[in-house]
Amino acid sequence: MASSQASEPSAEVLKDLHYRMVRIRHFEEEAGKLMEQGKSPGALHLYIGEEAVASGVMVHLTDNDQITSTHRGHGHLVAKGGDFKKMYAELFGRETGYNKGRGGSMHISNVDAGMLGANGIVAAGPPIAVGAAFSNKYLARIEGRDRMDVAVPFFGDGATNEGAFHEAANMAAIWKLPVVFICENNGYGEFTPQAEHQAISDVADRAAGYGMPGVICDGMDAVAVWEAAGEAIERARTGGGPTLVECKTYRFVDHVGLRGIGLHYRTDEELEEWRARDPIPQHEQRMIEMGVMTAEEIQAVHDAVMADITESIEFAENSPLPDPADLLNDVYTPTAAS
Amino acid sequence: MARASVFDNQEKRAIVRRTIVGALASGVREFRYMPDTHGITAAAAEEFAGEANFVAVDSVRTASALDTIRAAEALQAEGCGAVVTLGGDGTNRAFALGWPDAPLVPVSTGTNNVFPTMVEATVAGAAAGLVATGQAPLEAVAGQVKAVHVEIEGERDDVALIDAVLAADRFVGSRAIWGGDRLREAVLTRAEPSAVGITSIGGLLAPLTPDEDTALRLSLGPGEGGVSVLAPIAPGLYEPIAVRSHGRIALGEPVHVTGPGVLAFDGERERVLKAGQAATLRVARDGPRVIDVRATLEYAACKGLYRDDEPPDGS
Amino acid sequence: MTAADAPAGRQLVYTLAITEGVRQALQEEPLAFMAGEDVAGAGSVFGIYRGLLAEFGPDRVIDTPISESGIIGLAVGAGATGLKPIVDIMFMDFIGECMDEIVNQLAKMRYMFGGKATLPVTVLTMSGAGMNLAAQHSQSLEAWLCHTPGLKVVMPATAYDVKGAIITAAREPNPVFVVMCKGLMALPGDVPEEPYTLPIGKANVIREGDGLTIVAHGRMIHEATKAADILAGEGVSAEVIDPLWLQPLDTDTIINSVAKTHNALVVHEAVRFGGVGAEIAAQIAELAFDSLDAPVGRVAAPFSPVPFSPVLEQTYVPNAERIADEARRILGVG
Repeated sequence: MASSQASEPSAEVLKDLHYRMVRIRHFEEEAGKLMEQGKSPGALHLYIGEEAVASGVMVHLTDNDQITSTHRGHGHLVAKGGDFKKMYAELFGRETGYNKGRGGSMHISNVDAGMLGANGIVAAGPPIAVGAAFSNKYLARIEGRDRMDVAVPFFGDGATNEGAFHEAANMAAIWKLPVVFICENNGYGEFTPQAEHQAISDVADRAAGYGMPGVICDGMDAVAVWEAAGEAIERARTGGGPTLVECKTYRFVDHVGLRGIGLHYRTDEELEEWRARDPIPQHEQRMIEMGVMTAEEIQAVHDAVMADITESIEFAENSPLPDPADLLNDVYTPTAAS
Repeated sequence: MARASVFDNQEKRAIVRRTIVGALASGVREFRYMPDTHGITAAAAEEFAGEANFVAVDSVRTASALDTIRAAEALQAEGCGAVVTLGGDGTNRAFALGWPDAPLVPVSTGTNNVFPTMVEATVAGAAAGLVATGQAPLEAVAGQVKAVHVEIEGERDDVALIDAVLAADRFVGSRAIWGGDRLREAVLTRAEPSAVGITSIGGLLAPLTPDEDTALRLSLGPGEGGVSVLAPIAPGLYEPIAVRSHGRIALGEPVHVTGPGVLAFDGERERVLKAGQAATLRVARDGPRVIDVRATLEYAACKGLYRDDEPPDGS
Repeated sequence: MTAADAPAGRQLVYTLAITEGVRQALQEEPLAFMAGEDVAGAGSVFGIYRGLLAEFGPDRVIDTPISESGIIGLAVGAGATGLKPIVDIMFMDFIGECMDEIVNQLAKMRYMFGGKATLPVTVLTMSGAGMNLAAQHSQSLEAWLCHTPGLKVVMPATAYDVKGAIITAAREPNPVFVVMCKGLMALPGDVPEEPYTLPIGKANVIREGDGLTIVAHGRMIHEATKAADILAGEGVSAEVIDPLWLQPLDTDTIINSVAKTHNALVVHEAVRFGGVGAEIAAQIAELAFDSLDAPVGRVAAPFSPVPFSPVLEQTYVPNAERIADEARRILGVG
């Protein structure tokens, strides 16, 4: 299929994709360690391995575009420009966190930048994204704008078995809303392989049932995602309606945490095959060969990200905990009447 | 990127089932098949387990072309007499990488394929069965197609069945060819004016059939004495393509290209050439032996192979 | 303004008061829209939104697919991004289809996000038995909603209150469920023409008395009033209180009344076990124990699905006679 995009990714885009992926990878590795050292409470679902998807999509979005995320949501917020200080502070349950310690990993959000939350309920995001897209279309109409903001729900292969996904996809299609459905197909719904949880091989096939285009791309290649998502996002912005983009990807670590819970539901060979396609070294090698970045410049990116992380973790650890007296704040929006 | 399939697993299973029915009618009792993650073929085979022997060959499950390549190698090792492929140009290209001159009935699962054709699986299976059981001689009903052999400096070889093209791209990205202005060199085994893809550029300038023992070379991009051809290089996309020169080349004649660029085979970006990296493209008639379903069944009719009385010509 | 202050004059039936409430909410707020199943072209299966499509057009009055999860999801996403959704869940029974969106998304998003999201969402839904619509179209499920922090719940049982509740909800920056009563659709009442609101969390004292406090909500306020009439004939002076807002609940008005009457009877149409009445009774016991002359009584539906057959349904739904009987038992008279 031909693309409506004018060109290949520029050097700036390639560097941007890389920067976002590197930020996610290091953020997640350190977060996983902190959890397993008992320093951050609760459970973390890490995005390691899937970085190309969030990064490839997010390069096309502004703060006015919304995303909804999953229980595996840190990567989406990082890619959407998340501040490490506020993110680690949230994972630590501190008042300085994005959600003031009320949400934690599974609900981390940044509404100001259009990040409408990680979500502990599988497939909860798509209906909310459809609502955001409805706003985008409504506001573009009353403000007389031709180009709409776009809402992008991220979800996994397993989520497409939920009724909420179906209702959202159908509504987006009938109303031609500016939504781009990004399926991160990592081959497993928790521990259950895709072949055991759905009788289709390609989630993108479902698009036909809603009357929207469905496309498949290599979720281990940031440029492939960038291309596929870019075309779909541009179509959505200009009134062409929704698209279902399936990114074939893989989770390098377990469902929860780095070490996981020791279930052997994936073979070592399978893990090795996918790890060999790690999106970050692959992208770095390509940039070096193309002369976009030198190995030294790439290392400097990693170093800068790690320095930011170190500083941010320190900030989070030294941040105040919420005051128990404030427990009931924010259950409701205060009103003059009540 | 790939479009979602228009044939879901349910339909694929039905197609496999119809293929088996056809092959059984032709007397096939031994089947070998490539396993898939969703057990599509296995489920169809199970239904006919009482009528024939079905064995899955070894393969891998990487959700990539490697699965098909490995399965093709295994099917060849098993000594299969004919193979039915279900897929598009990409599937057949991968199959040819594993078993270059396979006796093949390529059944298309999409509308935009050049190599496989839309043929009803029942008769596709019947034709494959007639060849596999020796009732219809392969030489009489199949023609060996041309293939573009691609040697890439310092890396593994590759193959294209219809066309190989160098584009001034840098990424395999979402795979589909885009931007006709970035095409540089192309080598075609066939040039069909009614097809969609790079082959159409040649087809609209100098048609070349699969039967002719030459290949077509296109040098693309603006240049002295060039011509612009409005060609459908992708579904729904006519673009004016600047052609500097075009001409027939002999089978075996090498075409040298140099990176940087991306090599696309049969419409999909596949391999990245680094700056200065050389590749050689060469066409030979050593590709799959494609079984002509119509010719095979006409042969069967002529010989009375499905009749219960004496054959009409008495042979 | 309360019903008591309303100038006597224009009368509207309950259904038309609903229509007027939504119409005025849409008129005064350009960011408000209404969506639901058959709310536009058909004007709702109950006819309560007739004329809105013609007045506001298809961009603002929207027929949705039959997708309750999608409808509440639409409201959550649109509400969090600047619009003022008014959505309709046709029968309250259907909230089973969208409880995740209600409980885990709509109610919690603000809190989970540390107060950084606002959900100005109005959900209109029709509850109650009495029309022989059987077990899946007759329920009163308000307790499910009241148990969920983040939601406000109002259950208007007069034409005046239903219009006021809708406008109040539409102006609220929080999710509000307006639980309407299908058994009251033909009920007329005084309804001012101009827009007005109800004080959130303020009960209505429908009838004053000093011998017994009857706390009833929804359609049961009318049965409770009838029961009070019966009791008055027997020399018992019952005070009838409609909490109107079940979340937040006006505990003060109820406790003050019980302090005066020393007896309390709680009535609702929903099943008795775990109903809102249990909460009200518990609060009376906690806060007015010393005032009570007898244990708090409760009249509500039995622990059964709503039956279809008219004779069974009539047995199922509480009525004035049963309320009066329970009042006599509490008071030890008759």
